[in-house]
Amino acid sequence: MRSVFVDTFCCEWLKKRRSLGAWLIVVGALFTPTIIVVVRLIRHAQLPALYANPEFWTSLWRSSWESMAIFFVPMAVILATSLVVQIEVRNNAWKQVHALPLEPITIFFAKLAVIVLMLAQFFVLFDLGIYLSALLPSLLVSGVPYPQAPLPLRSFLADTAIYFVDCLPIVAAQYSMSLRFNNFLAPIGIGFLAWIGALAALSWQHARLVPYAYTMLDYLKDNPAARSVASTSGMHVYAMSWFVLFTLAGYLLFAAKAHKG
Amino acid sequence: MPCLETIDLCHRYAPDEAILHGIALAVPEGSVYGFLGPNGAGKTTTLRLVLGLIRKQRGAISIFGRSLDTHRVEILKRVGSLIESPSLYEHLTAQENLALLQRIHRAPRTRIGAVLELVGLAGTCGKRVGQFSLGMKQRLGIAAAMLHRPALLILDEPTNGLDPNGIIEMRDLIVALNREEGTTILVSSHLLAEIERFVTHVGIVHRGRLLFQGTLDALRRERKPAAPVALHTADDRHALRVLADAGVDAHAGENGIVMPAMPPPRIAAINRRLVEQGVDVHAIGSAGGDLESIFMNLIGSRAA
Repeated sequence: MRSVFVDTFCCEWLKKRRSLGAWLIVVGALFTPTIIVVVRLIRHAQLPALYANPEFWTSLWRSSWESMAIFFVPMAVILATSLVVQIEVRNNAWKQVHALPLEPITIFFAKLAVIVLMLAQFFVLFDLGIYLSALLPSLLVSGVPYPQAPLPLRSFLADTAIYFVDCLPIVAAQYSMSLRFNNFLAPIGIGFLAWIGALAALSWQHARLVPYAYTMLDYLKDNPAARSVASTSGMHVYAMSWFVLFTLAGYLLFAAKAHKG
Repeated sequence: MPCLETIDLCHRYAPDEAILHGIALAVPEGSVYGFLGPNGAGKTTTLRLVLGLIRKQRGAISIFGRSLDTHRVEILKRVGSLIESPSLYEHLTAQENLALLQRIHRAPRTRIGAVLELVGLAGTCGKRVGQFSLGMKQRLGIAAAMLHRPALLILDEPTNGLDPNGIIEMRDLIVALNREEGTTILVSSHLLAEIERFVTHVGIVHRGRLLFQGTLDALRRERKPAAPVALHTADDRHALRVLADAGVDAHAGENGIVMPAMPPPRIAAINRRLVEQGVDVHAIGSAGGDLESIFMNLIGSRAA
């Protein structure tokens, strides 16, 4: 027997088809790899030496994640989460959603599951983009071989999973705010301010307590030149705790709404 | 047992802003119930409460004999609704919009084509709803409401945005659904003339109070026995002078001259006198006998 949750999830997944949020995931994930490909094609003379470097993959991985971890990932999560919720607001559809034979908990978690899956899709596309940014120059520029260094796939996937966990508090906070405010700008504005606050808190010793800071802390923790002095031990436990806390708070606000659509 | 029943339904948006005062709706099973009232009377608030879209403050709501508080999901499986403007995802096609609901209601996939055919939108295959006209969106909203063959259909001002032909089609559709599938239909409107041709029961709400509830025939019996007489002439000023000379207490109204109630022989005598005095009489007869006037009288007298 089909589960009501699975059916509701499939509906929510269909709703995002051709939506701005869905496009943002694709464009946001492939933006940095595209820039890398373009830059490498322009500076193609340096490519043979670069591709022969035994640290090729690690170097590519870090340069790809630099802008992503600090800026693009938090921004993409803030925007995509708000855009997915806005689908209902913009189409005046909350009243229909709430008039369906569904419990509020099903509606809430089906939509959240779609956003979380979109986030996973974002990271898969980004990883694929990084691989293509290495592959394409070797195919397009003569004399540039496929990278000699072995691809540390397992390590990259583990890093990706960690970045995914880092984003979950932002997803839950933005989702809860987007459900609370009909105005699209309110959750985005608050999210942007929270991101600036997280950026400012990077040099704070307790930065691991800041829910919007985890992708940045994860990127900076192995970088000796970084200005971050924060301890990152147990950071992912904090991230998961924020995620659970924001999700529960969001659900309580959603279920207790007096006017539904 | 009514299909839908509300008891002492009260609602206020602010402490000093009471919207509904003890609404007691009783929508009989198998009926087409016209829920009438001017704009701002409380129709949409009542329907939103009935669907659980607004948290109930006071009173009770039961549908299919069960309390909405305790059997909400079970009840909504058998209810279709269109509240105010249709809720449609404009970046999706009509089929995709219906596919969302078909999955939730677990209706057969063939119903999507069937309801689109029924509302005249079968030929819109790849077109996104954002490119639809207002009338097309309204039709699609109705298709969505009846996709799962609900036992109760709640339509709030369903003819909004429809052209005259669309209004006739909508009326025929409601009648067919009621007769062929036995669907109980609760339809709100601010125009009695628009729905009087197909409703079996009427509820009239004004300023949050239910002024009348009953069959259409019972509403017709509300016709005032002593209705004033309306007169339409080619020259109302001349006619008023003639009537004053005849001792008739007439005055100019919004739509012609209004005279006090009088027996038919007296009306005939006045008509003769006007003609003799050179006034062309276009129409003369009892005013306030049509349903629209009864509706307006109810609103005017009982709510005062």
